[in-house]
Amino acid sequence: MENIGEIIKKYKANPFEVYPVLTPHTGYVHLMVKLGQTVKRPIDPWQQKGGTLLYTILRQGNLKRIYAPIDGEIMDIKRELDEQFVEANTYLMSIRHPLTEDEIIDKILSDFLDIFRAPEAAKYYFVPELAKKIEERGLQKVIIQPGEEILIMSRMKRDIHLVYEGKPGIIHTVYFRPNVTIPEGEPLLGICPPERVSFINDLVQRIRLEWKV
Amino acid sequence: MPKILIANRGEIAIRIMQACKELGLDYIAVYTKEDEASLHVRRAIEERGKESVFRISSYLDPNEFLEVADYTKCDAIHPGYGFLTENYRFARRLAIRKRPLIFIGPRWEVLREFGSKINTKCIAKRLGIPVVPGSDKPIYNEIEAENIALELFHRQWEEGIKRPAILVKASMGSGGMGIEEVTHPIELRRVYRRLRQYVKRQFGDEDVLLERKFPVFNHIEVQLVCSQHGEAVHFGTRNCTIQSVFRQKRIEVAPAFNHNYKYQFDPEEVTKRAIQYSLKMADYVGYDSVGTWEWIVTPEGQLYLLEVNPRIQVESGVSGSITKIRHLPVGVDLVKEQIRIALGEKLGYKQKHISFHGASIEFRLVAEDTKCGFKPWGGTITKFQLPKYDWLKVYTHVPSDRPYSIPSDYDPNLALAIVWGRDIEEAKERGEKFLNEIKIEGKNQEASIVTNIEFLKEKLKKIQMFE
Repeated sequence: MENIGEIIKKYKANPFEVYPVLTPHTGYVHLMVKLGQTVKRPIDPWQQKGGTLLYTILRQGNLKRIYAPIDGEIMDIKRELDEQFVEANTYLMSIRHPLTEDEIIDKILSDFLDIFRAPEAAKYYFVPELAKKIEERGLQKVIIQPGEEILIMSRMKRDIHLVYEGKPGIIHTVYFRPNVTIPEGEPLLGICPPERVSFINDLVQRIRLEWKV
Repeated sequence: MPKILIANRGEIAIRIMQACKELGLDYIAVYTKEDEASLHVRRAIEERGKESVFRISSYLDPNEFLEVADYTKCDAIHPGYGFLTENYRFARRLAIRKRPLIFIGPRWEVLREFGSKINTKCIAKRLGIPVVPGSDKPIYNEIEAENIALELFHRQWEEGIKRPAILVKASMGSGGMGIEEVTHPIELRRVYRRLRQYVKRQFGDEDVLLERKFPVFNHIEVQLVCSQHGEAVHFGTRNCTIQSVFRQKRIEVAPAFNHNYKYQFDPEEVTKRAIQYSLKMADYVGYDSVGTWEWIVTPEGQLYLLEVNPRIQVESGVSGSITKIRHLPVGVDLVKEQIRIALGEKLGYKQKHISFHGASIEFRLVAEDTKCGFKPWGGTITKFQLPKYDWLKVYTHVPSDRPYSIPSDYDPNLALAIVWGRDIEEAKERGEKFLNEIKIEGKNQEASIVTNIEFLKEKLKKIQMFE
């Protein structure tokens, strides 16, 4: 835990991340923000209210409103694409996002949790039984046991059930999103053995204190 | 000149491009981010320019194809195989929208019947055509599924079958996807639940059916070509028995049976019956495109309808390569026939004008570990060289002049090779020569590339046999 101060110092020196904004599909885009504008992500659970409208995209008569996925400031906007037909995954702009305290904690914790990494580039889903438990009890209340099927790896049109082989632990952090291809070796889950929960909690407290200094 | 949107990827997209070129049609190609390095993208850019290629989010999103088709003013959409090919809602949408588009495939009403295995079985039963024993209507719960499964197991136990098994199948599945084997009734509920969840995610439909699994059989197919003007001909049969453990075909042979082998049945009589039944069903629904009727043949010569594939198939080329129409050279491109038919043309020939010459074998070269449950291999291909002969046709989306990373979203298919011979023995010899001369290298973080070449060589000796 000694080098925590160093790690925090590193984040404090550059507490930003840049998020590229790409079109989800084809269609005609209409940009709604300007360079340098501050944007906010939606605050309600349905990700609709209170957020800054970045752009709209019209496809087959359906207008989709795209809100800022994260708080930050617009940088490098492609104004020449305004009112144009674009392909899927077209780069429109970037958002410079100041990292929050919780995000810093998540990043630092990844060095202290047992990380379950993607064995292969694939899409990942929780097995239904585990998804149900998480929904009922909450993420950090579910203990997974060795030998238990925890994830479905969907790759090359095949489903492979992944069995957890580590020590019993709670799922502290989920790093993947369903329906998104995760590259090989990327973290999927941050797992914490029950006996280390107090250590992790202490760590979180320490990061909070040092971050404020 | 009609413009076609090619709503597919890889090898079939290349075959459609070739057909369009030979028919003098313009085309537009699409690709996803994962497919940027595919040869189908490069070929479209080289032939038609950058403005004829569009990046889309998914090959499964109908709105993506419609948006690109409208933007580029296409007249028709070719779905290829897989993805939206058997989606009747998509075909219907093309037909009834403000700016209608031609769906290169059967009418949507026909797709609705044949896109679902349950509907197909009902039609066959109505016409007195034998179907694989099992369920022929939607199953609503696990108890119902278990009762049907028990009945199928009991029948096999009564017949003295030592290791009975049944298959749980997605009604909308194709290409071997959504099929699982159950060897004891106790496993049924777990498999049933898992498969429903899988097929809902893959096909957006939860219907499954249960069927008896035959321990020994041949999987044969009848290739039909029917026009919008009531014409219907067959292009003979194929044998697709050599498959992976996931029931994906790996070797296809035309014709289906080897007349030099001694079968327990008369292969000519079985072939004739399969063709008659297929034409009867096609006539009943007013089939109006190319299509494949798939059959199970037992060692005793019993014939059961498995399913109908209302589309072009991966293996259609193997039938085309032994077919001759009138005085033209041997070799018919069924993709071209499919496009001509969809654009309203007449066939221009009758059954009596079609003849079959020689034998043909198709190999599907796949990056998979056949010794480890056909586990797909992912990584980067660094060397890919295939031999060239006048008796060999190869379709591939894998470039040979630069490294290529296999996308993780699709099957790790590398190439489709069709070998022709004056008879089946010559085709087998040539097939072995082709397989021996493939040069392929590749690696991922753990190991070198694994392919199914050895599996293909081994199984080549056993084609058209009952084992």
